[in-house]
Amino acid sequence: MEQRQITLENLNIIGPDYYAKNGYPHAEWTYLRAHDPVHWTEFPNTDPFWAITKHADIVQIAKQPKLFSIVKRLLVFVPDQPSEPDPVPPFRHLLNMDPPEHGEYRSIVSRRFTPRAVRELEPEIDRIAREVLDGVTGKTQCDFVTDVSSRVPLAVIAELLGVPRKDWDQLFRWTNETIGGADPEFQDGTSQDETFERARLGLFQYFTDLVNEKTKRPANDITSIVAAASVNGTPMPQFEMLSYFLLLVVAGNETTRNATTGGLLALIENREQWDRLKKNPALIKPAVEEIVRWTTPVIQFARTATEDTEIRGRKIKAGESVCLFYPSANRDEEVFDNPCKFDIGRDPNPHIAFGIGEHFCLGANLARLELEVIFRQLVERMEYAELAGPVERLRSSFVGGIKHMPIKMKLNPARQ
Amino acid sequence: MKVVVDLKLCEGNQRCMEAAPEVFDVREDDKAHLLMERPPESLREKVKLAMRMCPRQAITLED
Ligand code: HEM
Ligand code: SF4
Repeated sequence: MEQRQITLENLNIIGPDYYAKNGYPHAEWTYLRAHDPVHWTEFPNTDPFWAITKHADIVQIAKQPKLFSIVKRLLVFVPDQPSEPDPVPPFRHLLNMDPPEHGEYRSIVSRRFTPRAVRELEPEIDRIAREVLDGVTGKTQCDFVTDVSSRVPLAVIAELLGVPRKDWDQLFRWTNETIGGADPEFQDGTSQDETFERARLGLFQYFTDLVNEKTKRPANDITSIVAAASVNGTPMPQFEMLSYFLLLVVAGNETTRNATTGGLLALIENREQWDRLKKNPALIKPAVEEIVRWTTPVIQFARTATEDTEIRGRKIKAGESVCLFYPSANRDEEVFDNPCKFDIGRDPNPHIAFGIGEHFCLGANLARLELEVIFRQLVERMEYAELAGPVERLRSSFVGGIKHMPIKMKLNPARQ
Repeated sequence: MKVVVDLKLCEGNQRCMEAAPEVFDVREDDKAHLLMERPPESLREKVKLAMRMCPRQAITLED
């Protein structure tokens, strides 16, 4: 990382290029937590916002969804060229609805995501993870992202939605394009907006057909539930329905993938933690929590004040937005002892990598289980792993991640 | 001390039960049930931990 003196004037916490080059700006966030935890930020091509970097402030904001609405601005989006916001948002789903409507929509599928419901998927997730790892067993080198960490989350959500296996690859491309649209690797020569738009329309068309299919032959999958759902006594409108699928397909992919990749990287870089987990597999649950805290794959979401208010003494005017930097909250020295230490036994671990309150990640229990299964198998089967080249980071200040991570490794076949 | 769970928010994440099993029980309906509505003072710290850990921030303490 470049060595320079951080000041309030030269901070860069939102430019996607910074993230591609350096990863997360933890030094900047640490500086902000100490010197200006509610920091007015201006950056080209996006409306100014308050950068919120303290754990307690994010919790306070997230649990007041009426005072801090998600509808006007769900995240701080930084396009490459100046652009006018769409007069009509290209989707309407949980992440741009406020209460009470938000709760009506969320409860349609929420029981599918409770710890109890999710537990039942364990054998299936176990099988998916085993197949993925079998695919690289015997190799001495692989790209951990392409070959392993990107495969499991997509397979799991596709399975939950009842998407036939033959369509998984196509689904995978669309999800990459919707989230990774700011990264040239996924742009296919067109602009970020065009990339997103093409993927969105592809997904909408695909799910229109799948909904028709599931309406004729309902199955025990989430697509069938959403297809049959009504809201306040009337059938769910088509646009909201298609948006629901867009959200479910996209939300769980990049995030879980990056937690997996970043988790392995952390274990490679902190070998004593790897050995500790290997010796004591019962640490898997706290280890997963620590991996999620450490990686915090979602960098930020935003809210907009609906009335004049105040945070930590700063006056926030109605209409101004606040940007919630989750990775900063998860290294808040007022909440975590030794926040910059990766410690798989950390307890308690009140991280907010899944958000908190009204919009708390619907898939949190599912993501936790996926990570548990993957890391349990990795610890069991992997004799060693080390980096075989530099990691390549995603150009995004929304979902942080590693695009490619070449590793040298030895993976044993699964125990029968 | 009186504990209230907003059942519209609660989604059975079970964190409350882990923090204060004397007070919260998450049942088949995936909702937190109160084993006591007015827990003794000795449980205050545990209840506060449950409040803090609840991902949906569904728990409130009255007085
Ligand atoms: C490690 C993996 C994951 C991380 C770090 C993560 C993170 C987040 C965060 C921070 C939010 C809150 C947004 C806010 O407060 O504005 C969120 C919302 C959401 N997540 Fe996740 N997520 C992950 C995995 C998943 C998975 C596997 C799914 C599967 C369906 C999923 C589905 C959702 C949905 C539907 C929402 C919107 C909830 C709402 O607005 O009510 N996520 N996620
Ligand atoms: S932790 Fe909160 S959401 Fe979870 S069961 Fe308890 S009250 Fe409900």
